Amino acid sequence: MLSYLVQRLASTILVMTLVGIFVFLLLHLSAGDPAAIIAGDYATPQQIVAIRQRLGLDDPLLVQFGRWALRVIQGDLGVSIFSSTPVSTLILQRLEPTLSLAILTMIFAVSIAVTLGVLAAWKAGRPVDRLLMGFSVLGFSMPTFVVGYCLIYVFAIELRWLPVQGYRPILDGIGPWFMHLVLPTVTLGLAYVALIARMTRASMQEVLEEDYIRTANAKGVSARTMLMKHALKNAGVPIITVIGIGVALLIGGVVITETVFNIPGIGRLVVDAISKRDYPIIQGVILVFSGVYVLINLAVDLSYSLIDPRIRH
Amino acid sequence: MPAALPINEEENDMTTTRRRFVQGGLATGAIISAPATIRAQTTPSAARTIRAVLHGDLRVFDPIWTTANMTSYHSGMVYDMLFGVNDKYEPQPQMVSKWSLSDDRKTYTFELRDGLRFSDGTPVTARDCVASIRRWGARDGGGQHMMARLADTPVKDDKTFQIVMKEPYGLVVEWLAKAATNVCYIMREKEAGTDPNQQISTIIGSGPFTFNESAVVQGQRYVYDRNANYVPRSEPAVMTSGGKVVNVDRVVFENIADEATAIAAIRAGEIDMIEYPNVDLLDSLAGEKAIKLEVLNKQGQLGWARVNWLHPPFNNIKARQAMLHLIHPTEVMKATFGDEKYFRGCSSLFGMGTPMENDANIDWFKGAPNIEKAKQLVKESGYDGRPVVVLQATNIAYMNNAANLIAQWMRQAGFNVSLQASDWGAVVTRRAVKAAPDQGGWNVFFTSGSVNAFGNPVSLSGHAASGEKGWFGWPTNELHEQLRDKWAGAQTDAERKQIARDIQQNAWDFVPHAYFGQWFQPAALRNLTGLIGMPELIPFWNVKKG
Repeated sequence: MLSYLVQRLASTILVMTLVGIFVFLLLHLSAGDPAAIIAGDYATPQQIVAIRQRLGLDDPLLVQFGRWALRVIQGDLGVSIFSSTPVSTLILQRLEPTLSLAILTMIFAVSIAVTLGVLAAWKAGRPVDRLLMGFSVLGFSMPTFVVGYCLIYVFAIELRWLPVQGYRPILDGIGPWFMHLVLPTVTLGLAYVALIARMTRASMQEVLEEDYIRTANAKGVSARTMLMKHALKNAGVPIITVIGIGVALLIGGVVITETVFNIPGIGRLVVDAISKRDYPIIQGVILVFSGVYVLINLAVDLSYSLIDPRIRH
Repeated sequence: MPAALPINEEENDMTTTRRRFVQGGLATGAIISAPATIRAQTTPSAARTIRAVLHGDLRVFDPIWTTANMTSYHSGMVYDMLFGVNDKYEPQPQMVSKWSLSDDRKTYTFELRDGLRFSDGTPVTARDCVASIRRWGARDGGGQHMMARLADTPVKDDKTFQIVMKEPYGLVVEWLAKAATNVCYIMREKEAGTDPNQQISTIIGSGPFTFNESAVVQGQRYVYDRNANYVPRSEPAVMTSGGKVVNVDRVVFENIADEATAIAAIRAGEIDMIEYPNVDLLDSLAGEKAIKLEVLNKQGQLGWARVNWLHPPFNNIKARQAMLHLIHPTEVMKATFGDEKYFRGCSSLFGMGTPMENDANIDWFKGAPNIEKAKQLVKESGYDGRPVVVLQATNIAYMNNAANLIAQWMRQAGFNVSLQASDWGAVVTRRAVKAAPDQGGWNVFFTSGSVNAFGNPVSLSGHAASGEKGWFGWPTNELHEQLRDKWAGAQTDAERKQIARDIQQNAWDFVPHAYFGQWFQPAALRNLTGLIGMPELIPFWNVKKG
């Protein structure tokens, strides 16, 4: 187990190195010049050249890459070209909103989806099942921003129950923090509810046809015990796989949700950085995201063995 | 080993009484709300805070390092100016109490008014002003023009300094007062001594607000608190002149990237202002009594098509003249701004509504659009059918629409157009490339600027026709440059207006660029009164909330 863990962690470093090289080259070979954006629209070409020299953007690509890589190895992600703020500070500043949104979304999605999925599997082919699966198709097909605007219109503008946009740090009080995250969580979570519910239903249906379930039924085990204790645990591996993929997809999903609800998270940070070609921020965030992605996959793989002892052997 | 603590039987009792439940609930509530309570003691109330969504993100904090308008908005809060302008664009003393010009018209003497202090409490001195003028003069178009004729800037005492010119120069005070970027804001000597090509790292000014860096979330929120050290002038506030009296405790620049969200936020009362609400969404504000739409910048923005003089076909005067005849400003403007009350065509090189606006040599405008005439001119230019590269910034609505429509009219006139889509970030890079269009260069790109900036023939870099030393497009015309110099040296307004006519007469013959419309986008204001409408700046002094 330990050697497996070490092996996986080593591969994480390799993956992040490759991601780093790829992102650096992709950014620097694509069109866009931060110096021109910094200088503003009325700036003369001479002024832009002066800024480019000052920022070291006219150095050969290899020199720029070497400089960046050396800093990253030392744990320094560099500083923003525009604001001169360290990238790590910017990421840390944006971490709380993104983590809050991601965690609430997963709690919301998993708790609703697993319940609905189990219910649909238990009542397979009945109107409840059709209704739930119809709802999941709708949830999966509606674009996030459409859901977001609809929820804003109903709950923030018409009913005035919840704020339209923004984020309040948890230190401002749990109430304001939670109220600002309700709509973004539902918006972002809906697609995951649909995805996880469908997977839970399919996996549960397979398990519910097993002999031992029939035996449990014959023995008179209650429906609740049979579903939650005997069936769900054995249907868990595919569900956890989907949740793991969902967490990774969430990283992309927060970009749109953070934009629609004006949440100052990492998604907004990277979108803004791309539009102004703030290379150190883009590189830093993608590097961190790739690390998180690989670690989530590792955690999912390790969790299989906890749920299904057969995998451990 | 510490002595065992005595156990209170009541505390050890695990049962829940009603009293304990209530006590527990109150304690939990107090813990949850405590941080908010602590913060509330230092945060101004919502009634004394203005939350404004402006036209973009504040990316750079140094008004000399960039010409971006957002940076000028930020700087207008934090820094003050030696002179402001009134509603006739006439310079008026702001930080200066009195000033004089010597008989030989070469030496300007300025004295600072009493009570000027930076937000760190240190007094503003003449040395700060001279250092700030020199740093500004190294970067700004007008400033560079002035510095090239500057003899010296002696400091006479803490409150008095001079600007000594080598020759009589009529624009010193105008340059110091202008609101178009780069603006001559006064910084401490310490920051003003920074290399003009390097961004300053400390933001301390003597303006009506202080920059609250601890409350800033980069890319999201920028916070300005009332500067307790600021002493406003006694005259009423007019544009950037007069008393900058602050009636609120805090102003927050909110960067809401999504336009629909910003509209929803102002409807819900979460923000107080949107500088440029999306015109397609204005109807949704119609029923909101607390919200009014108001055009703040009455001069507006001017859209222009820059053509590349270095390569065919626009190295030929006939091809450039064809561009004047083929553009239909009303159609371009309609595509983006819809309602005709928000736009107009522009025939003057200096924009409509500026002091230098005139009607010299505008027959092309009276007859436009005239595709047949454009066709004839393209033919006369000897255009050989090579692809004409038109850069299209698809992420900015007016640029995207202008590119689509003008490319189509160019095709009708006989150009073989290659429309190349990208985001604005890629356009600003590519427009600097001087290579041939088929080797990464370009032929046409679209952008816009404040009409106020276009009104000045010298300070706007885009008005230069100095060839490859100039702004993108690199037009060349010797007479144009001579006339711009002459304009800068003129002593009276009447003289300047006549020279402006001469400049325009010549310019619409050689065609440095073409315009595709002038627009006046309204701001959405929720329960705000007293906001001074002006170009180049949103002044948050004089404003009242409620």
